[in-house]
Amino acid sequence: MPKIKKKRLGYALDMTPMVDVAMLLLTFFMMTTQFRPEEATAIEMPSSHAPYKMPETNIMTVTVNKIGDIYFGVDAQSLRAQLFGEANKLKSNMQVTPDQLRQLLVQARISNPKLVTLVKGDKTAPYGPVEDVLNILRQVKITRFNLVTELEKN
Amino acid sequence: MGAVDSAGESKSHARGQKKHKKKRRLRIRIDMTPMVDVAFLLLTFFMLTTYFSKPQTMELNLPPDEKSQVEVAESNLLTIRVAQDGEVFWNVGTDPANRIEMKELRKFLKDKSKENPKLITLLKIHREGKYEMLVKAMDEVALAKVERFSLAQMNLYDERQIQKARGS
Repeated sequence: MPKIKKKRLGYALDMTPMVDVAMLLLTFFMMTTQFRPEEATAIEMPSSHAPYKMPETNIMTVTVNKIGDIYFGVDAQSLRAQLFGEANKLKSNMQVTPDQLRQLLVQARISNPKLVTLVKGDKTAPYGPVEDVLNILRQVKITRFNLVTELEKN
Repeated sequence: MGAVDSAGESKSHARGQKKHKKKRRLRIRIDMTPMVDVAFLLLTFFMLTTYFSKPQTMELNLPPDEKSQVEVAESNLLTIRVAQDGEVFWNVGTDPANRIEMKELRKFLKDKSKENPKLITLLKIHREGKYEMLVKAMDEVALAKVERFSLAQMNLYDERQIQKARGS
């Protein structure tokens, strides 16, 4: 009779469930990730207590950056091709002059009347250009629009 | 880790009498470790790059045209002026302007609108001020639950009022 073998402790761990869960999470994150579209200009948003979430579709954005330059963009690629030309349809924002902005706002609204207007200004942007943008919006009869802000903690 | 064994390892003793059958039973072992490593790497990447917080928006309604004017009694008009350096001044009607801190604005607006429910708040920001001041001031107005509120352009008269309030 052989000696009673000391039972070796098995240290082989079944990793299968963990790997399964990891794969599941991986799939989830891959599906839900939306890569931030490349912005033409860096914007640091001011914070507020506004409770509304930013809409994701049917938006047009008027951006005012740190030095007061005005950018205009829409979310739909087909509309971008129509407004800025085929070559620029991948750019989310284009720098515009106040006069161009006026025309583009009107054109965009004609193509898609459901567009929601967002005004996105940098925290340190001078108020002058922002006021000009607000006046242009008023002139083209866009009286309801949203200012994009970051949620303030507290 | 994560290795897959082909079936039949244990059965091979019981059934492995004939030689030609034994030949077919190749043990397939796929080492899953690199795949799992890569999967974890990707998982970490996606977890870190995902952001869930969407920006908030503040809704703003403006009258369609500057021409459409509404007559308001002077005593019902509260003007809040923000100078280019961020100092806030308030006055009712044509009274001289007074300084106020941005922090006190919320409570002040609440009290004022309680005093006079017909009060209309007019916000004027200096063109050389910062955009943040507009958002801050509007936020305070919204938090004070003042609904009758409008934005207006700052003119020379307003600037003179601010200067006067600073001088005193």
